[in-house]
Amino acid sequence: MELTYEPRIVGFLCNWCSYAGADLAGTSRTNYPANIRIIRVPCSGRVDPLFIVKAFQLGADGVLVAGCHPGDCHYSDGNYHTRRRVGLLRPFLDYLGLDKARLRLEWVSASEGKRFSEVVSSFTDTLIKMGPRSS
Amino acid sequence: MARVGVFICHCGTNISGAVDVARVVEAAQKMPMVVIASDNKYTCSEPGQASIRQAIVSNKLNRVVIAACSPRMHEPTFRKAVSAAGLNPYLLEIANIREQCSWVHSHDREKATAKAIELVKMAVAKVIRHEPLYPREVPVTKRALVIGGGITGIQAALDIANAGHEVVLLEQEPSIGGRMAQLDKTFPTLDCSACILTPKMVDVANHPKIRLLTYAEIKEVRGFVGNFKVEITQKARKVDYSKCTGCGTCWQKCPEKTPSEFDLGLGKRPSIYIPFAQAVPTKPVIDTDSCRYIKYRQWLAAGEQGKKPPECRICEKICPTGSIAWDQEPQTITEEFGAIVVATGFQVYDHRHYEEYGGGAYPDVISGMQLERLMNASGPTGGEIVRPSDGTHPKTVAFVCCVGSRDQAKGRTYCSKVCCMYTAKHAIMLKEHDPDVQCYIFYIDVRTGGKDYEEFYLRTLDDAGAIYIKGRPSKIYRDGKKMIVLGEDALMGRPIELAADLVVLATGMEPRTGADKLAQKLNISYNTYHFLVEAHPKLRPVETQTDGIFVAGACVGPRDIPESVAQGSAAAAKVAGLFSSDTLVTDPITSVVNRERCTGCLLCVAICPYKAIDCETTRDTRVVAVVNESLCKGCGLCVGACRPKAIDLRGFTSQQILEEVNSLWS
Amino acid sequence: MIETIRNKAKEWLEKNDGGCVIGYERASDGMTARPVFIYKPYMVGSLIFDETCVHNLSKYLLNRRGLKTAIVVKPCDSRGINLLINEHQLDRESIYVIGVVCPGMKDAHFGRIEDRPLSKCRVCLHHTPAVYDVLVGEPQPETASRDYSDVARIEGISIHERNAFWKEQFERCIRCYGCRQVCAGCYCQECFVDELDPLWVGIRSGPEDNWIWNIGRAFHLSARCIGCGECERVCPVGIPLMLANRKLEKESADLFDFEPGMDAGTAPPFATFLKEETLEKVE
Repeated sequence: MELTYEPRIVGFLCNWCSYAGADLAGTSRTNYPANIRIIRVPCSGRVDPLFIVKAFQLGADGVLVAGCHPGDCHYSDGNYHTRRRVGLLRPFLDYLGLDKARLRLEWVSASEGKRFSEVVSSFTDTLIKMGPRSS
Repeated sequence: MARVGVFICHCGTNISGAVDVARVVEAAQKMPMVVIASDNKYTCSEPGQASIRQAIVSNKLNRVVIAACSPRMHEPTFRKAVSAAGLNPYLLEIANIREQCSWVHSHDREKATAKAIELVKMAVAKVIRHEPLYPREVPVTKRALVIGGGITGIQAALDIANAGHEVVLLEQEPSIGGRMAQLDKTFPTLDCSACILTPKMVDVANHPKIRLLTYAEIKEVRGFVGNFKVEITQKARKVDYSKCTGCGTCWQKCPEKTPSEFDLGLGKRPSIYIPFAQAVPTKPVIDTDSCRYIKYRQWLAAGEQGKKPPECRICEKICPTGSIAWDQEPQTITEEFGAIVVATGFQVYDHRHYEEYGGGAYPDVISGMQLERLMNASGPTGGEIVRPSDGTHPKTVAFVCCVGSRDQAKGRTYCSKVCCMYTAKHAIMLKEHDPDVQCYIFYIDVRTGGKDYEEFYLRTLDDAGAIYIKGRPSKIYRDGKKMIVLGEDALMGRPIELAADLVVLATGMEPRTGADKLAQKLNISYNTYHFLVEAHPKLRPVETQTDGIFVAGACVGPRDIPESVAQGSAAAAKVAGLFSSDTLVTDPITSVVNRERCTGCLLCVAICPYKAIDCETTRDTRVVAVVNESLCKGCGLCVGACRPKAIDLRGFTSQQILEEVNSLWS
Repeated sequence: MIETIRNKAKEWLEKNDGGCVIGYERASDGMTARPVFIYKPYMVGSLIFDETCVHNLSKYLLNRRGLKTAIVVKPCDSRGINLLINEHQLDRESIYVIGVVCPGMKDAHFGRIEDRPLSKCRVCLHHTPAVYDVLVGEPQPETASRDYSDVARIEGISIHERNAFWKEQFERCIRCYGCRQVCAGCYCQECFVDELDPLWVGIRSGPEDNWIWNIGRAFHLSARCIGCGECERVCPVGIPLMLANRKLEKESADLFDFEPGMDAGTAPPFATFLKEETLEKVE
């Protein structure tokens, strides 16, 4: 019997841009795969890198961190710090054997509902192609 | 022990169309700590809210999860609802099963239902860890600081003062008045600029609620809305204002003459001076760069090296009140304010950046502002419009629009908005001064957005007979007594070579030098040109991201006088609104430090965008971080950075976020 | 060399009543070195310095915050002092740094000193301390080229091999936290691994929880690890911790152009940012 593989994605979305962008995807009825579970945070800078590690430890197949575009952060600088934290964590996890394609940092504005659905779709596709994480 | 109630909304068919609500209810009933789970056709409706209130009371609920539309939609509504039932409004969590579930997974009922169940599960996991939060009240200092004494700042100061609040109006130059004081006439009414401005300047000086601080700068700003502490540097005037009566003897007798900033180098002023005749205050300052006696003292201090400057001191000798204070030094004044209005305005773009127009080397290529001074009856020529090079009256005058505006090559892409109009004004005024003058205006587009502006522009064509040539000139050079303007008439598609007596460059607006530094002190944003950034360009045009700090006028972007005045008044209205109550309520979602865990590495202090974190020493002499909750905006940037997990964000604690993640695998 | 250290220590102790010199003395095995705390000038004779002085003593400064302390440091250890000053743990004025030019250290195993220098010394760049009040020995030029061949070897194998490699390494972890106790950069009042509320890391020593502990430990030292190698030296089960630390060291040098502990003033990468940087690897 062939089981279809459904990757599980944890998404940390900033309240002001990306979470609003995800809401807009809904308001404009843009369908995307149901694999993502969204956690609302005030700013992508709220995301402790250990949240990401923890999600992977528990079994997440992919983690998405999404914030405002550089320069647009509601709190002026938060996303620049996120970029550095995730920017260092990503190659490190890859080095430890967790493919860097499983951790994504994306900028999604409140007006980019369509883009949000594209991000989730392409991320889900990538993860399906990669298959389950090797244990 | 948490007693959670879960309320799942159908939202008509918006949710139930894609999600099997009955199954979500069933699943929710089995979740930990859940006492009751029920569904409702429209939870946000009054009957829906009433059923929640009832359930809270009858089931003794102390936590509520509402699975409905986005929290960005109805979180405030539902907070009020649970609050009405006697629960702390922050003991509520919303599962977004509409925007982020039913509306985007309408093609797969099975998956949408499974996701909705998990979203509820996450919300339950989080809500259990919610703690009651209480907004705090902070007192408001009902005193405003207005930075910038141009027309915008004057208007703001007068309006705030007339609303009954104390105002300090701060100006870095020796007099208020700003750029408007330099103008001759204003478009489109051709009012005399000084005639409409100077009465307002006098009002400021005489207003019992306004204190004027000229020749002063901001040194440091601390604090937060309602409670700013500002350090101001009062520059050394070398004149004791408590004695000076402004009689004017000193500036009439001072033997040293230096180029006047106010007349843009076209005229001269003494070393002890007021910038212009109607200056407010009418008391002078000594310019330490040109004063003979100051130079003499520097020469003495440097060990009498080089030529000895004259030991002048004439002003001191003739001053009837003994006001000259050679030893006066800059002073720091500390003041407290509840709100700050930034109205630092603009400066005229320096056309020396235009090498192709002579880079400022030709005396007969002047800026529009210089022409204002030449036209003005109290200007350096007494209102005679003459060529700076030889004093003759120009007959052919060329105008070049968009100098320092809309020019990608010079890194200035924005339109300065007023240049088309003031050029039109100049053409009309020149014709009035001398009917023999012929004006040629090189333009890219003529922009006349504003009441009666287009009509005014048409007068330049009909009454003043100005000739408009479309295209930006490529070069300006001198040929004998004439200035040759090379360009192309873009409409006719042929090259143009114009021999003019005088060339006027319609230079654009740019923020005052140092606007970026000031913005950094105030912790507000600025764009690449250093124009300040408003909280929302349309809906919050005079507010900033920092509460209690407002912006108005041309420091935000190119503005004409009516807009600047309107913005000054708008900012004043915002300040008056802020001052209408004695206290302010602050959002309780802020960071909080666990002092036992804090190592005092102060990484949080370094990264806080709001300077909301400071440090203090505990009784056992450890240095720990401390959050100023009135300044904290609750971004959580510090929390994400803290290695010992000593700082946490109320309402989004690490515990809660981890529980949300954990719930997906438990 | 050792006479200079003893003389400087003596001079300093005579001038600073109540001060303490932290240095090395010969251990009771007569072969290796051990830390020593000297409070009296006449006791400086026990100070030694040679290739057995492997320990990074800078962590001991944390127990003497605000107290007059002199310390003998190798170049890598000296960076620990800068790190701790940068993170507001120490103030420079109370510390007298006796910096020693490092010949490379050798560890002892099974009763004899090894022939080869420690692996960290083989890839070491800085042979002169980054901070000192007195320098002992002739300043040595820096090693010009960075040697990350160890890291490159792991980067070169497949993702599955890497996963298997580290899984095997971390599985052996007995969660003794020796790596943390010895590290100059690990000074939290309460380590995240010890926290119960919230529980970041399960208390059981198993593959999953060992994984997050080891990643968390290394990442908390990202752009902070000074490369003293003490964690790896003390690990009782021989996990190549420096191999993980050095990946982060390499990345923070590449991404942020930052080397921890080289001075006490530069803002560390996580305290600052550049608006225009893209970190292409991320986006």
